Parts: sequence; structure tokens; C-alpha cells
Amino acid sequence: MANTTTKEEIMLRMHDIHKSFGDLEVLKGIDIEVRRGEVLAIIGPSGSGKSTLLRCVNKLETINSGSIEIKGEFLAVTNEDGQAEYVDAKKGRSLLASTGMVFQQFNLFPHMTVIENLIEAPMQVKGLKRAEIEPYAQELLAKVGLSDRADYYPSQLSGGQQQRVAIARALCMKPDILLFDEPTSALDPELTGEVLKTMRELAKEHMTMVVVTHEMAFAREASSHVIFMADGMIVEQGEPEAFFAAPKEERTRAFLQNML
Amino acid sequence: MDKLFDTFLLMLDGSEITLEIFVVTLVLALPLGMLAALGRLSKLKAMSRLVEFYIWLMRGTPLMLQLLFVYFALPMIGIRLPDIAAALLAFTLNYAAYFAEIFRAGIQSIPKGQYEAARTLGMSYPQTMRRIILPQVFRMVLPPVSNETINLVKDTSLVYILAMNDLLRVARTIVQREFDMMPFLIAAIFYLAMTFVLTWGFKKLEAHYGKYDN
Repeated sequence: MANTTTKEEIMLRMHDIHKSFGDLEVLKGIDIEVRRGEVLAIIGPSGSGKSTLLRCVNKLETINSGSIEIKGEFLAVTNEDGQAEYVDAKKGRSLLASTGMVFQQFNLFPHMTVIENLIEAPMQVKGLKRAEIEPYAQELLAKVGLSDRADYYPSQLSGGQQQRVAIARALCMKPDILLFDEPTSALDPELTGEVLKTMRELAKEHMTMVVVTHEMAFAREASSHVIFMADGMIVEQGEPEAFFAAPKEERTRAFLQNML
Repeated sequence: MDKLFDTFLLMLDGSEITLEIFVVTLVLALPLGMLAALGRLSKLKAMSRLVEFYIWLMRGTPLMLQLLFVYFALPMIGIRLPDIAAALLAFTLNYAAYFAEIFRAGIQSIPKGQYEAARTLGMSYPQTMRRIILPQVFRMVLPPVSNETINLVKDTSLVYILAMNDLLRVARTIVQREFDMMPFLIAAIFYLAMTFVLTWGFKKLEAHYGKYDN
């Protein structure tokens, strides 16, 4: 579990985030803060804006106003006109290099083997030689329990295995923050366990994680902080123990009741 | 028997033009088609529109008309090209338009998640295209490209109207001179042989690049 001995460094801070798709406002002023080693779980009904919020962290979606700070440096700030302004592309890329993402649909590169999926970005982006990164990639595959699948193509793997490869691929770039966008939602129920186990292990190693999920058990046991979102706003948040044991808001209670 | 052999040699000669048009068109039209596809998908509206117009023009008029235009109309406005170059220009422009649409469809069929995954891994747009998107597009467009390529083999016979001595015209000349239908048969066999080699080659390519989709 996120332990208190880790540094208090703030890895991610989002302030007053507003985001609209056309006329539809999907984020209505969200504030979050994630410290090193913390696992933030974001839960809520579909359409609550939780995935959009996560995608705003690494600029897959751009915000309309608010500010985003990664490891103490601004990725986006709001100017006097109330419009969000992003730092220049180069600076942005270097900030976002400390984030990694795991998608609901895995998004592995189908034309590459498992090991090639892992080493592609380190070689292309960091300019590493294959020999320099492959041992680390093998290590990560061992960690997610897929050492024997290095030369398989994604299509030859189960969904759970693919998602574990996707986690290893994200880790291979050595991110400081790992973002998970409903990582088990596309999986058959019997395959979610293996992915959650990998995520729990990462949490134990104090990987900083932001996890959008429908897995209440994971949020309860592996997170250090839970946020419940509905209609583009944070309805309630807190330490998982208290949050799940005694939710204060009626909306939260109704949601949790439905999930269990 | 000697006569048949002579006919065969003459036609082999004629197939040289056919092959030249085929190979050069393919070599020029494939990359041009890729450029056009990227232009068509460009965020620059003017660029996209321009390429759209070009594709519409090339696909909307007969290749034969385009050949005649390049060959007869361009010289009237002072652009005089050697025969073979004129034919190649028309063929390349026409086939590039078809390839462009094939490539565009291929690029658009790649899920958005592939771009997003590459982006979150820090890859730039050119890296993403070169390493992630285009290799998948390449695999996906092989069957339609194979189709167009086989069409091209047969379309080369359109240079017949430009009085170039391609395979078909040589056959026709001999038929008229000798009152013997054999050259037509031989021509058919030549075309079939080329098509056979292409079909076989593309099958190999598809098998090679298809190893990842079980």
C-alpha cells in the first residue's frame, strides 16, 4: 500500500480543470493531486468524465481552462482570457516522457512481437541500441510473468496477457507516473485477476499510478486515495478505508451499492 | 515451326515496351500514390482539396482519354514529350490516383489507439507513421494493390492507340499480315504469364506479412 515513508514530492497536480466537447461540458472544475508512490483510483459511472480527465493528464485531450503540473513543472496554465495554454511542444514532450499509459483496448502494435513492442519506443525515442534495452525488457516481461512469450505476436496472446504486455511496454520507458484507463474493462472476468495482480505489485513497489477503474476491490485494497466522479465533478473523495466503509454522499452510496 | 519461332521473337520484343510501361509506372505511381494519400489526409484544407480534385479527375475520366490528351493535346500547347514518356506520364498519374485511394483507406482503417499508444510512448508523428502505421497499412493494402497491379498489366495494352509497338500491337500486326490467329493466342499467354508471376509474388508477400494476424 502507499506508504508514508515515501517522499512527499507532488508528481501530478491538476487545478480547476474544465473541458468541453462542443456544447457539452464534461469536466466542470476538477482538482487532483498525486504524490510520489501514491495510487489514485478514480471511479464513477460511465459518462462521468473520468476517462477524459485521465486523458487530459497526458494531452490526449486538451483542456479548455485550468492548469496541469507534472513533477512541479507546468504543462498547461490558464492565461488572463481564461484559456488554457500549453507549453511548447518540445517542453511538453519532455514533461510527458515521465508519464506512461495503459489503455482499455491494450493498443499493442500487432505487427511486432512482444519483445519488439517493448523495445520499440526506447530505441526510437531514446535512441538506445537493442542490446542496451533488451535485458531490461526481458526483466519486465519476467515481472509480468510473460518471459516465455517474448517472440509471440499480440494476436497469439489472451487479453489478460496482452494487457500485461502493455503494462510492461509502458514501464520500459521508465515513466514516473503510470496512467491506467479502465485496464480490465475489455477483459473476460476470469482474466482480470492476472492484470490486477500485476497492478497490485506495481503499487507495492510504490509506482505512482492514476487508475480509472470499475474494479471496486482493487480501488479498496490497492489505492491510497479514491475519487468518485459524476457528471464531470468530484462528488466525494478520501482514503479507501473510510470511503468504502462510510461514504458520505447519497450519490456515492447509490453508485457503490450498484457496483457490489 | 520457324515461322512460329519468329512470331514468338517478334512478340517478345513487343513485350519489352509492355514490361517497361508496367515496371516504370509501378515504381513511380506507388510512392506518388502514398504522397497523394498523405496529402489527401492532410490537415491543410487546400492541400486535401487539391489532391481530392486530382483523384476525381484521374478516376473520373478514361485512361485512354488521358493518354490521348498527353499525347496529342499537350504538344498543341507546346509540351512535346517522347512517345514513351507521354505514355508513362499518363499511366503514372492515373495509377497514382487509384493507389492514393487504396492507401488512404488503409491508413484510415488503423485504429486511433495505435496513434495514441505511440504518442504516449513519446514517439513523434514521423516515427509513428514510419514504424507503427505504415507497416500495418502495407499489409492491409496488399490485396487491393495486387488487384490494381494486375489491372496495370492489361491496361498497358492501351498504348496500342499511340501506335507504340507493345505486345498487343505487334500481335495485331502479325495477325493482319499473315492471316494467322496464333499471335493473339501467344499474346494471351504472355499476359497470363505476367499475371501469374504477379499473383504468385503477392501471395508470397501476403503470407510473409500476414504472419502476425492469426
